Amino acid sequence: MTTPLTKPSLDDPRIAIPAASEWYEPAPTAQTERQAEFLNLRDGEMFVNMGPQHPSTHGVLRIVVKVNGEQVVDLDPVLGYLHRGVEKLCENADYHQAICYTDPLEYVASLFCEAAPVAAFEKLMDVEVPRRAQYIRVLTMELNRIASHTLFQGWMALDLGGITPILWSFIERDEIVDMLAALTGQKLLYNYYRIGGVNGDLNHEFMSRLGNWMSRAAAQIDSNLGLMNENEIFVRRTRGLGTLDAATALRMGVTGPNLRATGVPFDLRRDHPYLVYPELEFNVPTRDEGDSLARYMVRIDEIRESIRIIDQVLHEMPDGPVMAKLPRLIRPRPGRAFGAVEGPRGAYGVYAISDGTDQPFRMRIHDPSFVHLQLVGPLTRGNLIADTMAVMASLDPVMGGVDK
Amino acid sequence: MARIPGSGIVRGMALTLTRFFQPKKTVMYPEVKPDIPPRNRGRLELVTDERGTLKCETCFQCAQACPIECIDMGGTDTKGRYAVHWGPAEQYAERREESAMRRSGRTVSDAAAAQESSVDLRPVEAALERVDYDPHHMLQILESVQGAYGYLPVDALKRISRATGAWYAMVYGTATFYKHLTFEPGRNRTIAVCRCANCLVAGAGRVINTLSFEFGTEFGQAIPWSNLRLEALSTHLPDAPSPLVVIDGEPQRELSSRNAESWAAALAGRYAA
Amino acid sequence: MVWSRMTPGGRALAVLLPLLSVGGAVLTALLVVAGPFIGATIGANLPIVRFLAASVITFLITVPVAFLLIYMEMKIIALMNLRIGPDRIGPGGAVMSVVHGLKVLKKEDFTPPSVDVPVFTLAPVVVYLASFMTVMVIPFAPDLTSVGLEFGLLYFFAIGGLGVVGLMMAGWSSFNKYSLLGGIRAAAQSISYEIPLTLSVVGIIILTGTLSLPKIVEAQSGSLLDWFIFRQPLAAIIFFIAITAEANRTPFDNTEADQEIVAGFATEYSGMRFGFFFFAEYVNVFIVSALFSAVFLGGSNAPISLPFSPEIVVDLSGLGLLLPIAAGIAPLLGTLAIGLPIYAISARIKAWQALLAGFLIFGALSTAAIGFWAWAMLPPVADLVWFLLKTFTLIFIFVWMRATLPRARIDQLMGFAWKWLLPASLLNLFVTAAAVLLTA
Repeated sequence: MTTPLTKPSLDDPRIAIPAASEWYEPAPTAQTERQAEFLNLRDGEMFVNMGPQHPSTHGVLRIVVKVNGEQVVDLDPVLGYLHRGVEKLCENADYHQAICYTDPLEYVASLFCEAAPVAAFEKLMDVEVPRRAQYIRVLTMELNRIASHTLFQGWMALDLGGITPILWSFIERDEIVDMLAALTGQKLLYNYYRIGGVNGDLNHEFMSRLGNWMSRAAAQIDSNLGLMNENEIFVRRTRGLGTLDAATALRMGVTGPNLRATGVPFDLRRDHPYLVYPELEFNVPTRDEGDSLARYMVRIDEIRESIRIIDQVLHEMPDGPVMAKLPRLIRPRPGRAFGAVEGPRGAYGVYAISDGTDQPFRMRIHDPSFVHLQLVGPLTRGNLIADTMAVMASLDPVMGGVDK
Repeated sequence: MARIPGSGIVRGMALTLTRFFQPKKTVMYPEVKPDIPPRNRGRLELVTDERGTLKCETCFQCAQACPIECIDMGGTDTKGRYAVHWGPAEQYAERREESAMRRSGRTVSDAAAAQESSVDLRPVEAALERVDYDPHHMLQILESVQGAYGYLPVDALKRISRATGAWYAMVYGTATFYKHLTFEPGRNRTIAVCRCANCLVAGAGRVINTLSFEFGTEFGQAIPWSNLRLEALSTHLPDAPSPLVVIDGEPQRELSSRNAESWAAALAGRYAA
Repeated sequence: MVWSRMTPGGRALAVLLPLLSVGGAVLTALLVVAGPFIGATIGANLPIVRFLAASVITFLITVPVAFLLIYMEMKIIALMNLRIGPDRIGPGGAVMSVVHGLKVLKKEDFTPPSVDVPVFTLAPVVVYLASFMTVMVIPFAPDLTSVGLEFGLLYFFAIGGLGVVGLMMAGWSSFNKYSLLGGIRAAAQSISYEIPLTLSVVGIIILTGTLSLPKIVEAQSGSLLDWFIFRQPLAAIIFFIAITAEANRTPFDNTEADQEIVAGFATEYSGMRFGFFFFAEYVNVFIVSALFSAVFLGGSNAPISLPFSPEIVVDLSGLGLLLPIAAGIAPLLGTLAIGLPIYAISARIKAWQALLAGFLIFGALSTAAIGFWAWAMLPPVADLVWFLLKTFTLIFIFVWMRATLPRARIDQLMGFAWKWLLPASLLNLFVTAAAVLLTA
């Protein structure tokens, strides 16, 4: 059957080793005015390329930084290293398969990436989700939000040079992830939400782990935060750095904690309620400074609010089915729907058009990380190289969603 | 902040020192295996029923439905002759080495393609020309090739895979899926019609016309949807009636000049079924 | 052939035994013939021989010290991170860093194209040389100094500053922007912190009137309050911060901030050249800790004197020829004496386990006995123990800081040195000088 092929070897004369003149890439030619401005080096300026493999880039982001000494003059994020064409893939899969394609978009908090398409498809189908399923969704989503935010504070500290918080965060996150694994079966890409409900009812492993964790979660997370929150070096490096004002943030389409750190109390859970959020009591934490420290603190306040929501959900959880009665093969009537949820990084939205077949005719995914990444340039200009990392960490982009 | 400068640092140092003495969270992995949750879907498994028989019916539906093509199925057919598989061919040696070299951006001659083909590939090229190298017309290509050779030579399949860009496994899978496509030469059944003067007078021309109309093929070629082949008989067999049709060396005696057309239609109908 | 059927060990023996016997015979003959001459030469050039021996020993000491420090760093940070850390190789993973060293040795020593080859090759040597040359003036104990320089402190600062040249060389020659940034950061940071570092000890130089490290240590003998950390607390704080920056430790490790400039000056290095940078970094940590404990923590002076002074006089010379016999037989007898009761306790204990336990217990006991005897009767041993105890406490603090603190930004770092540390050290200097003038 198979023809044995000769193994490739570096001694093979057919494999050309580039000549010395080919080591350096030729200078790129400018395609646009902005690019021409970026490529124009003044005295004492040089490009430093960071990524796609660099210790501090989140995922595979590449940033070309134009520096003058230590100062960042200009900055150009280069995207697309993780592009998979998820939207197109979803259009070639049926409605159930599409959910599992959106799952790895944001691998840190993937339940939100499921929740958005599921919400859109449910609107297309015009199906009522059972109340117990809604409560379970709120519960798991808030757990995932805490997992994401604890990891964020570890990454933030790591990008500022502290090595311990990331490991403590991973210990916290691991507990939540194990809990969700007991419920959903997977640790990273849960694929738990279904159109019209969830994949399985709460089980004993999940509940016992959750009870265990709830009894000490708040104290443990507070204790972990004590390492960085008051640390003078940390505070001095983040206060007043990368300040974003509310008008710019709204103009740029910023959502989530990054917007709330500028003082705009916008939260989809309260302003465009979905599931059972209107029945729950929670605050929308905001800060007015709009700097990196404010973005950090807003996320930490959100962890506390999420614990509060989980507590209420556990008390009010009704009994009943977790899945609506739906046919196996879903063929919604032709139409269009937009579903959005408030994720740990901002609003995830999915806009789906049905043409009456079992596959979405068009599916557009809105990911907040992509919007936030365009802030890195304006916020970093004029600061130092080290601040690029601090600003980027505080914006908390996840490249899976950016490149889609 | 009215606090003493450095107090935050001191508090952090105290916190790390208390953690220094706390119990550790490391899981000693190779010795201590982590718990696998009962709902875990991390492993594909063939399920057996209570008598220990495999429940899998080899319907390939799971492999076709899997959105990210992580399921692939393979094996030999029931008679143990042909390897079949459905799924990404990247895992198989025949594709992996080529594409790995190409992915590295190197221009290397393809050793598999560089080999001298054992058959003349011109008919394959002609068949590919006809559908403009479109892999979506795989069945049509394969039928034309089978029509030309009477069977599907391995080199022809490789050439198809290379020219259309379809995975070799897909080409092979299609070829094994349809019953009328065959890989072995010489196992064809021939319908030979004698064209000597006697037979032509007795109605061989009508037989030929009917057969080629019914089978939808030219005289002297293989019938694409079956392993039959229409041929001319070189010499009239002794003691045989006219018109003469020989199927696999067996002269057909029911045929006469009167029922030539209806007999040929019945024959075609028998094979078509 | 016999050779082809021999095991590798057998082959080694077959080669080594004749060589050793012949070599031994030749050496003995040479010693007999040239012995008096060699003795006379050594006697005549004693300072040179002493210097050579001291530098070789110092050089050899830095390697195990670096291994120990790397292990400490891995393990302590792991424990603070709620991890276990290295635990597979050796007891508690103690040999892990040695294995790391071996790994670095056998890795490919790659010189990237388009680097400045001579400078690139020399840089690690310069860095390591600067580190190990400063070890030579460290006063481990009153009589345990490689080179008892009169101007030891000055020498220390001068040679310590040389390491920056190596870092700059590495950064410049690597043909890499990260390396360049790292090298320049190293130069800027090191020059900025040299000044408060030097100025902070001027007060002590005024108080003691000497630049010699053994004499500074001697000036702190007496009670605990004679230590300069209590007499010059501000200088101690400035000095501590400055040596943290000098040794490129967190929170001042901007030269190799991996989140910003990957690995700084060492980005393009691999194999043992990288190993030299790595070793030099840890040797630096050791020597700055040793310097701090010598200058501020009383060096080899004991913080408390024992309430009793044991007099253990063992006169081994009386035993004569019996001494080597006793030394040979004692471990055997001791092992048996401890192993037999253990064997007799339970039937489940196998003979080899009992013997092993006996050997280990006897070894521990005899080491403890000899150690206590040395402690009581040999003053340098006690002094060395105190000195190393203080030094390693400081190293623990450095590692602890690394586990806790994030990295300061480069401009904050420089601003801190020039705006705060420099005025503070000047203030300390003037106050000390005024106090000395007024009391004199």
